[in-house]
Amino acid sequence: MKIVHMADSHLGFSAYGRVDRWGRNLREEMIYEGFKETVDRIIELQPDAVVHAGDVFHHVRPRIRPLYVFQQNLERLVEADIPVVIISGNHDAPKSYAALSPFTLFEGMEGVHIAHHYRYEPFEVGETTFHSIPFCLGPEDYLAEFRKMQERRAERSGGRDVLVMHGLVEALWERRLRTVGEHQLKESFLKSDFSYIALGHYHGQAQVAKNGWYSGSVEYFRFNEAKDEKGILLVDLDSEEVRQIPVVDKYMIDLDPVDCTGLSSRQVEGLIRSVCDDLGLKEKIVRLRLSEISREAYRSLSRRLLGELRGEALHLDIVPQFSDETALRETEPMESRDLPQEFRKFIEGEAAGEAIPAAIRDGVLAYGTGLLARISEKRAAERFDAAQ
Amino acid sequence: MANLSDERWKEPRGQESAPPEGLARIGRKPQTITMDESSNPYFRIISKDVREYHFIVPSEEWVELGEIVSIHDRRAERGATFLARITDLRHDSNYDGNWDTVIRGDGFYDTDQIFHRVVAEPLGCITKEAGGRERFRKSRTIPAKFSPVTKAEKEEFRFLADVMGDIEVGRLRNGSRDVKEIPVALHSDAMDHHMGVFATTGMGKSNFMKVFAASCMKMASAKKSKFGLLIVDPHGEYIFGAEGTKGLLHLDRYRDGIVCYSTDKRHQIDPSVSELSVKRSEILPQDIEVLYDWTPAQREALEAVSRVFYGEGWLDDLLTPEGAARMIAEGFHEKTVGRIGRTIRTILDKNRYISDLTSSIPGIINNLLEGKVVLVDIPTLGERSELFLLSLLSRSILDRYKKESAEGARGKRCLITVEEAQRVLGGGEGSLARFESIAREGRKFGVGLCAITQQPKLIDKQLLSQFNTFVILGLADRNDRTRLEESAKQDLSSLDVEIQTLEKGEAIISTLKIPFPVPARVHLYEEYLDRLNGEGSAEKRGDRRGFNPPPD
Repeated sequence: MKIVHMADSHLGFSAYGRVDRWGRNLREEMIYEGFKETVDRIIELQPDAVVHAGDVFHHVRPRIRPLYVFQQNLERLVEADIPVVIISGNHDAPKSYAALSPFTLFEGMEGVHIAHHYRYEPFEVGETTFHSIPFCLGPEDYLAEFRKMQERRAERSGGRDVLVMHGLVEALWERRLRTVGEHQLKESFLKSDFSYIALGHYHGQAQVAKNGWYSGSVEYFRFNEAKDEKGILLVDLDSEEVRQIPVVDKYMIDLDPVDCTGLSSRQVEGLIRSVCDDLGLKEKIVRLRLSEISREAYRSLSRRLLGELRGEALHLDIVPQFSDETALRETEPMESRDLPQEFRKFIEGEAAGEAIPAAIRDGVLAYGTGLLARISEKRAAERFDAAQ
Repeated sequence: MANLSDERWKEPRGQESAPPEGLARIGRKPQTITMDESSNPYFRIISKDVREYHFIVPSEEWVELGEIVSIHDRRAERGATFLARITDLRHDSNYDGNWDTVIRGDGFYDTDQIFHRVVAEPLGCITKEAGGRERFRKSRTIPAKFSPVTKAEKEEFRFLADVMGDIEVGRLRNGSRDVKEIPVALHSDAMDHHMGVFATTGMGKSNFMKVFAASCMKMASAKKSKFGLLIVDPHGEYIFGAEGTKGLLHLDRYRDGIVCYSTDKRHQIDPSVSELSVKRSEILPQDIEVLYDWTPAQREALEAVSRVFYGEGWLDDLLTPEGAARMIAEGFHEKTVGRIGRTIRTILDKNRYISDLTSSIPGIINNLLEGKVVLVDIPTLGERSELFLLSLLSRSILDRYKKESAEGARGKRCLITVEEAQRVLGGGEGSLARFESIAREGRKFGVGLCAITQQPKLIDKQLLSQFNTFVILGLADRNDRTRLEESAKQDLSSLDVEIQTLEKGEAIISTLKIPFPVPARVHLYEEYLDRLNGEGSAEKRGDRRGFNPPPD
């Protein structure tokens, strides 16, 4: 049996404010186009099933356009007689039992199995059972759902078992996306007795166990994904062979920083022009960092040149790293649960440098930690109370 | 000789001269204690010095070795209470010789003149400071003679609650009685100073470790843990228990405080249990070197391996004919290279968790740095494989902690548990240098050892002196006790008999920050488990702010 494993389509994602002549966001359209190409490729491959491991939509309440694109392409798969298994991910699952999932619209379609009720659901396709654990509201819920699955597996024998989950395994936790509802999947879920484990959430293609893979997304969403391999996976459950299949050409480029030490604005412009010409900016998303550039040189860069280049690319991000300040550190948004630990580190560092007298260190720490806890609790309550 | 009863020596009545100076007190009536209810000779300090107190109790009174008594001295302005631990009990009487047991007629002679003499070791004294706060300190004096003695009650032990740590392991024990109100808890801060758990078989080592680990899980779950605990379990008894006992994974309430890895397929079914794996590339020649007795030539060849083969693929490279040829070309004998190759094949064959792709080691260390309990369950492996894994893990942990320490990172400290520790900490031939170096310098990097053994006498004396926490659960062998007495940071010499007579589940705990070796009754794990599982009910699905899962 051959299956296609894909994930993280994020239909509805838009960025950069560039629009086509009909006023549609170019980036968003690229993603719809990429999704269509993916389905084209799947139909060519004629697998026995397709598994989408979460985040079909970018939003919990997708607009009509992404819903329509999804429906059109889903119907194409059904017409091609390819069974589809889908789970909801942290982006497209409502964060409350009270709200309806967008997948409710697609329930009951023949050959389409969708797990989106925050609980384990097994789907049988031929002799293979797709054990699907969608996004759950609490990180601790996965353990209970996994246990239910193991109990079911213990009751029946024969056939192949494929596990489908969405979340980040512990080994990749350092590369977390820090998005709402991002859950850690325990290493212990990667049991070797599954024929295959199809994971979603991480946007690069990565093998995390002998039998476990992230298919990655087809598209690029952040610059830190620029070096990732993208596409879908064709998995042969009999031979245990996994083939990586690219779908779209690489269009996101994160260039190595260009050293601008001591260069004038004209010299920097020359460098930028040369780098961009070598690369070819058309329909690309590019980030170029100018390291050790002086503020004067950066301020005097030709706006016209930059405008021209930005017009060529889908998006060109020029990031100065000024010579008179310590390297700019890219900071990711913090998760509230990491805050107390971060705060402790900060206070300890300050106290070590004697910025905070030792006598009041513990008091400051206790007061600040208490304050953070109260704020987090309030924020969590507000999030739950917010209308879906 | 003058007859003092001769009337001539007596002064006329009413004309007695004053006694010479200094002799005035001789004529005073000696202090006596009469046997009435308010004042009797029993339970009053009658001797002896600052190192030892004596008092007597009626023969019928039940007193036990190890019991702690309190002595109330009212000399000080606010009063002081001395605490002392009973270290010996003797038959005694008011007669010299054997008069007390001479039979007269059909009964013992003067049975009311016989009693028990109790010998007690001073622990310290509790004084009340301004503001009514009680303070315990070592005593530099002795209680006033005839100060009343009572069996210490919970009020006298209240100061102990203030000096206890955060890892609860049992209750205070006074003789055979438990003082339920006073928990005995170890200090997290003392854990990188190494801990030893000593007991003969069946005295409750495993029970103690499970209780200790459960308390650590509770701390980790509450994100209050100050150290990660690594347990490598060669018997497979900690994970789900054995022979009717329960395991650490039965502690549902704090399951998020533990991470388990196993080589046992039956245990791997559980959602919380990961399959143990180690990447080939993580194995270094020195991990092989510590396991076997090598000839000098073989040792030299092993040391040369990392020079001859570059990178992570040395293990596979060495096993190829080309690899062997390269070693021979370096001047090593064919037989030497052959022996090393065979050993590596044996290790790979016996340790099926070694893989090409995945490794549990980064996860294990990350979880330790987060302060969790990490259980590595290897019931299917032999002793040598266990040592190999333990050695590999310890090396990886120490390397990572050294790195973190050099980079100024502030991860949690770590305690590595070593079962049958005499195998690796014995000093000399049989020991593993890696564990010895952790014992000696691990503290600098935040790595401590928890050595569990039945035979502390086999552990190197110098290494044992690095241990600051001793949990003694009963040792019959005098040499074992002597070794501990020699190495402990607190004086255990007077506890020799008590250690010998400890019953299952009873312990003497000597640790930093608790002023004297504390008698404890270790919680029975199953009872402790029930208590912890019942603590503050976890938020269940459907309880979340009133929302419930939708009906099917």
